[in-house]
Amino acid sequence: MNVSEPISAARQRRSFLSPGAYVPLIPPVSALLLFFALPMGMMIGLSFETTLGGFGLSNYQDFFTDDLALDGLRRTLVMSGLVAISVTVMAYPIAYFLARSTTRWRVIVFALAIAPELAGVVLRTYGWLVILEKNGFINDTLISLGLIEEPLPLIGNMFGAVVGLTHVLLPFGILSLLTSIQGIDQNLEKSAQILGASRLSVLRHIVFPLSLPGIMSSFLIAFTLSASAYATPALLGGIKFKVLATMIYREVLVLVNWPAAAVMATVLLVIVIGIAFFSTRAENRIVNRLHVR
Amino acid sequence: MSRVILSSLYWAFFVLILLFIALPLLVVIAASVSPTVSVTFEFWTWTFEWFQRMWAPRWIDPFILSAKIAALVAIITGVLATLAAYAVAYRKVPGHTAIMSFLLSPLAVPQIVKGVAIVLFFSSAGLYHYLGFPGLVLGHVVLTMPFATRMIVTAIYNFDTNLDRAAQVLGASKWQRVYHVLLPLIKPGIFSGMTFAFILSFNDVPIALFLVRPGEITLPIKVINYFEFGLDPVLAAVNVASLLFLLAVIFLFEKIGGFTAQLHGGSK
Repeated sequence: MNVSEPISAARQRRSFLSPGAYVPLIPPVSALLLFFALPMGMMIGLSFETTLGGFGLSNYQDFFTDDLALDGLRRTLVMSGLVAISVTVMAYPIAYFLARSTTRWRVIVFALAIAPELAGVVLRTYGWLVILEKNGFINDTLISLGLIEEPLPLIGNMFGAVVGLTHVLLPFGILSLLTSIQGIDQNLEKSAQILGASRLSVLRHIVFPLSLPGIMSSFLIAFTLSASAYATPALLGGIKFKVLATMIYREVLVLVNWPAAAVMATVLLVIVIGIAFFSTRAENRIVNRLHVR
Repeated sequence: MSRVILSSLYWAFFVLILLFIALPLLVVIAASVSPTVSVTFEFWTWTFEWFQRMWAPRWIDPFILSAKIAALVAIITGVLATLAAYAVAYRKVPGHTAIMSFLLSPLAVPQIVKGVAIVLFFSSAGLYHYLGFPGLVLGHVVLTMPFATRMIVTAIYNFDTNLDRAAQVLGASKWQRVYHVLLPLIKPGIFSGMTFAFILSFNDVPIALFLVRPGEITLPIKVINYFEFGLDPVLAAVNVASLLFLLAVIFLFEKIGGFTAQLHGGSK
């Protein structure tokens, strides 16, 4: 073989010649085709199957005319919106600190912010149950301080689910905001400060507008992940708190109604993919506007 | 003056957020060694009773099952993702961008939807008796492979191709270059992908939810099912034990794979 030839060109030409380069792809691609693409196709296909075995929208009609199902859908969207807001509001100060601090506190805060991700959803849910339940940590403390007489209903409702999900998704928010804030040219902040801007107005007029793409990605990642979360709403929201994910579980394992489960799963899929699609478009628009000089 | 108030308010909010993050974990650790069922914060009395009570088949069996699944998933995902990343990022086969988006496509699908799809596939293909261990391994491979592929592809992109070129000039064959140059240098990436796969599989709820069967229940599902009977402190002990187990696994994988060096830019 001619050694003086540029290797990348040689490599490219060789791979054009030999279909052997595709051989390593056979196991991973066939695993995904068989156990991901095919099941997804079957599930979406089933959602369009009518009782007579034909093809139609009757399952979707059933879903969108069922008040309970629509309630669940609405509850899913409200819960995800609240979680997305609280995650982004709480993640911002942490991410800003991590992006700009140069002290050794940075490492400590970083470990504290990200390490909980290692503990599974189940461990964190258990912690919140102990804190929020009727005889839990918060109610006990408030009663012994004489601030309340009856325990507050902190779990078994929307509040419990939102608190639990905010905790689970906070690291995602912090990481997406961190990348965005780190990308902001620090000289902009410095020059504004030299020209006499207060820290607050630097934050308001420089950091905040420039971190809008990060704010949006934090909001959307928290929204989509909470829309499809199962364990936290099931355990902290309680039995009566029905969201799409817990409804899907019930249709599959309790009611064994496959078409209904397939419809709900497809609706959830469309919501999540739709949001991802529009967010990339909107993000591009924001980024373009920011870079216009 | 108002600036001082504003800035102290800001830092108070900051500390509250950190407390919010740490509190549930601290509570679980406290509950696992607390003698009473409700968490009293009396640090002078503590017990290992709950950890001893954990040592029963009810908890040990799911623990071992979850660990076996996670280990097998880490290995299978490690091999498949390395093969995929090799073809896509190193050989750059024609159409590699399209293949890469296909390999990453499961990331766009909510996990509970993947779970439903897989259990639907198993039951309508008449493979219902493969639920449990084999089904869980397959489901978790689908769950973890995109993450591992992305990590290994990044490692290959960071790989210095000049080293490859040097080996070729010195007469190394294709296999020699892969085995002695590429693989050792992307080993940290492969191991971080495998570690990630292990953690994801060990903690997974939304896929295992549909794939477990009586007698073959993973630890997180077992714990969730047990929540109905109230907050038994044994659950806190189980959770703390699994967290310690994961830390030990990460430590072990790090010893073999040395992936923290990568975080400091060591592999480049």
